[in-house]
Amino acid sequence: MPILDFLKFKNGKRQKVILLGSGALSIGQAGEFDYSGSQAVKALEEECLEVIIINPNIASVQTNSGTNRKIYLYPITPFWVKKIIEREKPVAIISSFGGQTSLNCVIELNRNKILQKYNVKVLGTQVSDLEISEDRYLFAKKMESINLPIAKNYTVLTIEEALKIIDNIGGYPVVVRSAFTLGGFGSGLAKTSLELKRIVRFAFMNSSKILIEKSLYGWKEIEYEVIRDNVGNVITICNMENFDPMGIHTGDSIVVAPSQTINNFENNMLRDSAIKITQSMNIIGECNIQYALNPKCYSFYVIEMNARLSRSSALASKATGYPIAYIAAKIIIGFNLLELKNPITKTTSAFYEPSLDYVTLKIPRWDLNKFSGVSKYLGTQMKSIGEVMAIGRNFCEVIQKALRMVNESEEGITEEIFNNASDEELEKELLSPTNLRIFAIYEEFKRGKSIKYVHEKTKIDFWFLSHILHLKNVETKLINFISLQSRKQKFNINNNIYTVFRKIPKYQLQYLKSRGFSDFQLTKIFINTSLNKKCKFNTIQIKKMSLEIRKLRKEFKIVPVVKQIDTTSSEYSTESNYLYLTYDGIHNDVIKKRNSKSIIILGSGSYHIGSSLEFDWCSVMTSLYFKDKKKDSVIINCNPETVSTDYNASDRLYFEELSFERVLDIVDIENPKGVIACMGGQNPNNLIRFLEDEKISILGHNSKSVEIAENREKFSALLDDLKIDQPEWISAISVVEIENFVNKIGFPVLIRPSFVLSGTLMNVANDKQSLKYYLSLIKNISFDFPVVISKFIFDAKEIECDGVAKQGEVIVSLIAEHIENAGVHSGDATMVFPAQKLYTHTVNIIKNIVRKIVKCLNLHGPFNIQFIAKDNDVKVIECNARASRSFPFISKLSGVNLAELSCKVMNNENIEKILFDESKIPYIGVKASMFSFQRLDGVDPIVGVEMLSTGEVGCLGAKFNHAMLLSMEATQIKKPKKGILLSTGREKDKIKFMEVIDNIYKFCIPIYATKGTAKYLKNKGFKVNTVHWNRDPRAVDIIMNGSVDFIININKNFSVYELNNNSEIRKMAVRCGCSILTNLEKAISYLKAYDSYNELYQMKDCIYL
Amino acid sequence: MNKTKKHKKSEVYKRSYLELSNGMIFEGRAIGADVVVSGEMVFNTGMLGYSEVMTDPSYLGQILVFSFYLVGNYGIPTIKKGFMSIGHESSSIKTQGIIVSDIYDDCYHHDGDVSIEYWMKCQNIPGIAAIDTRYLIQIIRENENICGRIIPEAANLQDKNKFEFLKNFKNNEYVDPSKFNLMPSISTKKKIKMGIGTKKVAVIDCGAKWNILRMLIERKCEIEILPWDTDFSSVKCDAWIISNGPGDPRNTGDLVNRIKKDILNLDSPVLGICLGHQLLSLAAGAMTEKLNHGHRSHNQPIFSLPDRKAYMSSQNHRYSVTKNSIKNDWELWFENANDGSVEGLKHKEKPFISVQFHPEASSGPNDTSWIMDEFVKLIK
Repeated sequence: MPILDFLKFKNGKRQKVILLGSGALSIGQAGEFDYSGSQAVKALEEECLEVIIINPNIASVQTNSGTNRKIYLYPITPFWVKKIIEREKPVAIISSFGGQTSLNCVIELNRNKILQKYNVKVLGTQVSDLEISEDRYLFAKKMESINLPIAKNYTVLTIEEALKIIDNIGGYPVVVRSAFTLGGFGSGLAKTSLELKRIVRFAFMNSSKILIEKSLYGWKEIEYEVIRDNVGNVITICNMENFDPMGIHTGDSIVVAPSQTINNFENNMLRDSAIKITQSMNIIGECNIQYALNPKCYSFYVIEMNARLSRSSALASKATGYPIAYIAAKIIIGFNLLELKNPITKTTSAFYEPSLDYVTLKIPRWDLNKFSGVSKYLGTQMKSIGEVMAIGRNFCEVIQKALRMVNESEEGITEEIFNNASDEELEKELLSPTNLRIFAIYEEFKRGKSIKYVHEKTKIDFWFLSHILHLKNVETKLINFISLQSRKQKFNINNNIYTVFRKIPKYQLQYLKSRGFSDFQLTKIFINTSLNKKCKFNTIQIKKMSLEIRKLRKEFKIVPVVKQIDTTSSEYSTESNYLYLTYDGIHNDVIKKRNSKSIIILGSGSYHIGSSLEFDWCSVMTSLYFKDKKKDSVIINCNPETVSTDYNASDRLYFEELSFERVLDIVDIENPKGVIACMGGQNPNNLIRFLEDEKISILGHNSKSVEIAENREKFSALLDDLKIDQPEWISAISVVEIENFVNKIGFPVLIRPSFVLSGTLMNVANDKQSLKYYLSLIKNISFDFPVVISKFIFDAKEIECDGVAKQGEVIVSLIAEHIENAGVHSGDATMVFPAQKLYTHTVNIIKNIVRKIVKCLNLHGPFNIQFIAKDNDVKVIECNARASRSFPFISKLSGVNLAELSCKVMNNENIEKILFDESKIPYIGVKASMFSFQRLDGVDPIVGVEMLSTGEVGCLGAKFNHAMLLSMEATQIKKPKKGILLSTGREKDKIKFMEVIDNIYKFCIPIYATKGTAKYLKNKGFKVNTVHWNRDPRAVDIIMNGSVDFIININKNFSVYELNNNSEIRKMAVRCGCSILTNLEKAISYLKAYDSYNELYQMKDCIYL
Repeated sequence: MNKTKKHKKSEVYKRSYLELSNGMIFEGRAIGADVVVSGEMVFNTGMLGYSEVMTDPSYLGQILVFSFYLVGNYGIPTIKKGFMSIGHESSSIKTQGIIVSDIYDDCYHHDGDVSIEYWMKCQNIPGIAAIDTRYLIQIIRENENICGRIIPEAANLQDKNKFEFLKNFKNNEYVDPSKFNLMPSISTKKKIKMGIGTKKVAVIDCGAKWNILRMLIERKCEIEILPWDTDFSSVKCDAWIISNGPGDPRNTGDLVNRIKKDILNLDSPVLGICLGHQLLSLAAGAMTEKLNHGHRSHNQPIFSLPDRKAYMSSQNHRYSVTKNSIKNDWELWFENANDGSVEGLKHKEKPFISVQFHPEASSGPNDTSWIMDEFVKLIK
């Protein structure tokens, strides 16, 4: 029986199944669910099911519309899912592909008897079993019943109980967790009673139940990915081992797959337990089991089980090549494993445990320096926002590759991050790790410390450390060789890296390459060793010099080979198109010479702030387009959470670095027709100039256009030439220069350092003191690192235009507006499309400017131009000669697929100009940003010019108000229920806010306000409770004691003083899980939207794509 | 923690060559002992369990290629006093030599004494590292019969007294061990008794893995390990196991005939494992054939035909029972889910069971350990 009876085609109609997504990307729940979700959609549609997708994440591939598919961009809450169930009358619902969000939602729908009422069956693991897996206490009991050891944990309801329980556990250290959370939120490691009290207090703010258990700090942390079908066949797809032992959240750990340090006995001990657990929990589909393994003897504890697809399953899927989500989806609709084939080999059974003949390593991507106030130390609470995975034939190779991938650099482990650190600082880094610990370990070895020393401080297994030490030895050997050579002859810049490396025996150079040393890295080691320390080179120069090594290598025939990932370690011959490169080999698995037909698409790399799902969507659209055109589409990407790295998203996938060197390697192998770099965001775009210098054909904009658009000086000059207005600005190389400029134009000014990405250290300075403070944060202002200062315009609208051009002619341009006034990073702003509040004249001016810029830059492909407008005064602030963040949102709303259109342009197809009539769009869309402040303890949740959001949603409504309410609900801004705390900023803002004051009082809950705001409201005759900074009743107290759950906190200006004043309130709001709005326009729009609240929530109809 | 102090690691880079019978030559780094050996080229795709695999008697006479990128990660499991230490399947390395992509020559595991290289050196086993093993495996996979020689720089010749069959090996020649009867080389020379229990099991040692014995002892059996050329008619026992072992089942002298004559005419339970399964099948009148490149891995998917329940199994064999040669009084019990080959047989009336895979695992998954329970249950 391949498919369950009630899912079968009936009366000529497909049966409907609801698939829940995971919503906006946030820390702990990221792109992996787009990957598993879209594989599930594919698997379900193949079996003639109509898939109803509920997921407000508009930038996901999963929410692409298609035949026999409906997309509801609604918050994933029982309320909305119920509404959609009533409307669609599905036969079943699937909870396991949308992370914790969808799982929680289905558990609640079941508890409320909604699923029973509408006779909707849950596919896969049943809810009663899900509930056991989600409740640590029930799960622990279950484990005891099948004789598996689980770290004893105790549920406590008060702080006193918590302190009492310590003796039963066996003393400190203990781990504190709250039930029903993801990403380890609210958890922590307590080594003393003082720490315990602090952690427990915060944990209670989010959960009534707290669990305390023995800490297994320093044990090995090992995970198994398991698939079980409905007849009880079980396979473990892969095991994974954490480089960082127990104590650091898996999501924040460096992870290798398969495990490296455990033996056959240990592996099977854990594997047998995994099978036992899945059998006893009646898992149907996929689950993930985590263990702590004693590094000193044969014993272990079960840590937890996730009865759903997870970040780890996405990683395991990419590490092994086995499409876990696809197979899991087939299983939950009735297939058993024996009835399915392994999609990679196409001939062998899906009942199969992949064998790997390589090693993979994941490194998380953190952007912690973007969040002011957040501790950089890693612990049991996850903080990373993305990840990369490297594949290779030895550990040294993968760790170096992965470090390059995650840092978007050409260097590896030799990057000198701690070279100036003191011994004490290094030791501290080992003991209390941050995201940079691995570099500190390397530096320790360089300073002669032993493996044993580092192990004692870090508890990292000797096996891993011995490899890092080996890399250090390899580097030292090279350094010694180079210094010996340089003693023999004097080197200068031109004389020369080529001659030196030529003297290295061929097999040793081959060895260096096979241990993951990039040409750039070798060049840098050469420079640091042999040349005068005063000779400073920038990255661009070193990149150019490294080409000398490339030349030499090619002469020596030291080039990487292509290997397949085939799940079988070559036991069977496969046509697998999943590839990686390694120097540890002599033979290419794929050797067909291709006649310059392939199109290489550069993906976006790891997700991070400023580059997320949306660029993966663009890459996937591009790849599918060329795949469809039989053009041989080739993707290069290194992010395991993406759809673009799925086994059938392209004709060939190179799971590889997006570095200059590696892209050149792949170009050498592929000999492509062209490379597309404008669809994967800023990172690949940065490669264009280097690739073009190497005579590689770039499809889309030429490097000159990109160069002008991205170079502020050149772009500004161009705008001046075109007589297009722009805010006054200066590129300054000294503080004096900045001061002179500011004296001329006045405050406020926007400060933008040039050497950082996506707005790090970008700030608005309101006065001299703030300017001084912000400039002090930028350590280096010089000719090499200029700072751009520009006039900041208050109270101006921000507008974006996304479009596609062909040879300097606009094919289509679509305009969206921000709800927030200028001053909020476009990635954090709330966007409305079609624009609601623009004068026709403004639109005309904008379209005219767009035409001029496109013409003058001779753009040929996707673009995005950003404007600010005050009255009818339009100024250009930025132009991106690439696909932008808003492409999926605009494409899905307008029905004009901008990504596809860009492909047509790049493929030189004939296309007509599109005169798009925005009035024809039957709904209004609001794209809102998701912030993960809750996961970042100590962060000040204020939005500003530096981007901080980790994800986004896009919701539709018949009216703007509807879309606004939905998008806010989908980004965790919840309707106030207990009380509201107001501080509404400047006098001017307070007046504006009065527009919506009636709606505030309509909630009929207590209203609190800080002094100035309270006074203002009282004067207007409103009843309000005054709170203070420093005397009772204090603002932070009423937040902490739960009197308010909704906070509007608008700062008066951007002065450091003002920001600090309010930050305590905002931080407390985040800790206590309150909804918080810090932008006036957004708050007003949101509260105004409550005019339509009843209308929206009582409406029977829901809008779908 | 570091236990490698016992031997000094050599910093000198020594070359070694792998010559294949198809004329190809691979150059790599010599590891282990400096000995010239020859043997049948086989590969194993298991990712762990190298010490179990290398001591598995079924690999006798073979040069083993590991597909996993690194071998030696956790050193060699400690050899404890007494016998049959976990991680070892016989008292010595049985492979002629090993070929790896890379070797980890340290040992930091809590259950480890020495590094793999030290272990190999002590036992005079050569190997080659820095070989593109993925490529080599593809060559072995595509060529039906391929033999090879490991030739290290400055090498000694192999001690031909180590195993009896080596006497047939000539220097400078490729020799296929399966052309010879390997039983005299691998089987015990005298009977050995072990275990305490009421059920008496005779184990015909064709190269039995220790874990078969361990599992029987755990299941309260008294076992007697028999040399392959024992007169079975004189043995008193409640049940028989015909063990795993190396080579071609038809190249085993009169063993098949004696099984037919002295064991199949009885009614006591019989369990055949791997080579034992092939011998039992031959004795029962079925035929065997040579698979293209054999099954040597920890991830062979099998399923039982009666209930279509699937299991992961550990396997190590080149020969297999021909499906349509099975006689009527036997039924197909297990089948391979990948290639449909015969994985197990059951007698329709008598308590004779027979499996191609390894229920004793080690190394590999324990999914089919219940076969041993079934077998012990059959013993009255």
